[in-house]
Amino acid sequence: MSEIARIDDELWELPIGTVPGMRVPARLFADAELLAAIEQDRSLEQLANVATLPGIVDAALAMPDIHQGYGFPVGGVAATSVDDGVISPGGVGYDINCGVRLLALPLDAAELGNRREPLVHELSRRVPVGTGGRGAREGVQGANLDRVLSLGPRALLEDLGIGSDEELAFTESGGRLDGADPAALSPRARERGAVQIGTLGSGNHFLELQRVEAVYDAHAAEAFGLGVGQVTVLIHSGSRGLGHQVCTDFVKRMDARLADYGIELPDRQLSCAPLGSVEGRDYLRAMAAAANFAWANRAALADRVRQAVAAVVGHAAAAGTRQVYDVAHNVAKLEEHGGRTVCVHRKGATRALPPGHPEIPPEYRQAGQPVFIPGSMGTASYVLAGRPASMERSFGTTCHGAGRRMSRTAVRKAVDGAALRRQLEARGIVVRALSARGLAEEAPEAYKDVDRVVEIVERAGLAARVARLRPIGVVKG
Amino acid sequence: MSYRWVNHTAEVELEIEAPGEREVLEDALRALAELLGVRGVGRADTREVTVDAPDRPALLAAWIEELAFLAESEGFVATGVDDIDIGENNVRATVSGVLDEPPPLVKAATYHRLAFEPSDGGYVARVVLDV
Repeated sequence: MSEIARIDDELWELPIGTVPGMRVPARLFADAELLAAIEQDRSLEQLANVATLPGIVDAALAMPDIHQGYGFPVGGVAATSVDDGVISPGGVGYDINCGVRLLALPLDAAELGNRREPLVHELSRRVPVGTGGRGAREGVQGANLDRVLSLGPRALLEDLGIGSDEELAFTESGGRLDGADPAALSPRARERGAVQIGTLGSGNHFLELQRVEAVYDAHAAEAFGLGVGQVTVLIHSGSRGLGHQVCTDFVKRMDARLADYGIELPDRQLSCAPLGSVEGRDYLRAMAAAANFAWANRAALADRVRQAVAAVVGHAAAAGTRQVYDVAHNVAKLEEHGGRTVCVHRKGATRALPPGHPEIPPEYRQAGQPVFIPGSMGTASYVLAGRPASMERSFGTTCHGAGRRMSRTAVRKAVDGAALRRQLEARGIVVRALSARGLAEEAPEAYKDVDRVVEIVERAGLAARVARLRPIGVVKG
Repeated sequence: MSYRWVNHTAEVELEIEAPGEREVLEDALRALAELLGVRGVGRADTREVTVDAPDRPALLAAWIEELAFLAESEGFVATGVDDIDIGENNVRATVSGVLDEPPPLVKAATYHRLAFEPSDGGYVARVVLDV
């Protein structure tokens, strides 16, 4: 690979030619220290491969939390032209509309007091992970899958009274992507999803009880309804087996048609099809349905959080628990950038619209779109707000997390799950985890420094810090 | 056992070296069982597994996907191959295992760096699992 060149204080570039077939350069937001960590795995090679996609415009981009994924790196962004570009299911990922929802409770950590551990325990009891077999059927009962796929969380609100109009208003895209078609899903995708609405999943999915540790932008924090000391709950989950199956189905289907479309790729997982092709249009319909499912899933999880709050803290606290916002970080959307319509693939990257953008709820419009950046169990998470340079530099996008730096194998060798639990609890973090092994794999050491990642996107003008959230309880799938 | 886990920052990468195609698929099955963590407390059972794919690497991915699907949907963790017939574009097998409550860990078998090919008198295979 060519040597990466520094463009400015936060931006680096791999030129065309770094790998054969690149159509545009590959650019990375990072500082020298993060770059050194990023160069330890294959993520830059993967980013350069993304630059070979037909119809990609400007550059293949990566956020400072980039790390090695499959096909696309995690933290990758690619915009493709609607005229001659492609859609790549791997550029969205298997967990379509994996994302984060933040709830704010109407009390501070001092008021929660010694009810903290009972609340974490109740959250773990009421929020199913969705284990195989019997455990796979612990999702919301009575949901109409077709309506969920078409309407997202609105279907749960209208049919089962789960959620509220306010929650829908404070969800990216109103919790519904246009063009969703349940008929575009395979029977297996439907089968996997039917029993999983309201289940957390495993891997890096979690539910975290937090307190607001610091506020950096008082006006934006006030708009978002956040104050120092306040208790929040962060939900990280996605479209579960339904979304995984949609991606699996379309990677295979597009892989089989690559030669017909004259597409050559350096990695089979970049499998793609022209946006206007039958396969491309079908994928967009299926992906939209899976995205709607994911928003419904997080709405159902939020409902279960409220049930836990009601049981432990009281019904008034549950009724006063409001949704700050809900963002997707694995999705593709048709958007206007630079006077043209492009399909923006965000794989482990978050939309970050600047102040004044019409898609931001009126209550938040002056502040900018809320963005949530989970750190790791032992560190902190951030609330950010989108900034104007995101539209000029990154197709309205910022980072999505701290970004892994250690493999699961390596961290399991270095960290004992039971010991980690004790360490976290000694630091005031109540832990409920499905397994010690899973807990160890998500140890704080496995992740980059979230403070540094956030500092880079702020310096680059993509998003700015609003508040820092400190974990006080974790439910880990 | 002729499989090993290769360092991969976010996901899980499996490499297999085996004397034959059947052994590659058996090792993939055992690796998945290890990943899901068989507690050995469930009832023993068997399943018929049939997968189709256009080539050998895709067949390996389809095989793992099918086993992961059985774990997710039925809680069935396959631990051994009783019988297997490997055709040009398909695999038909009877697998034995246990009914348990495995974690919903494996999202998919990806096509990233996917391989299943002859090498030095045997076979090598590689697959990255999204977890």
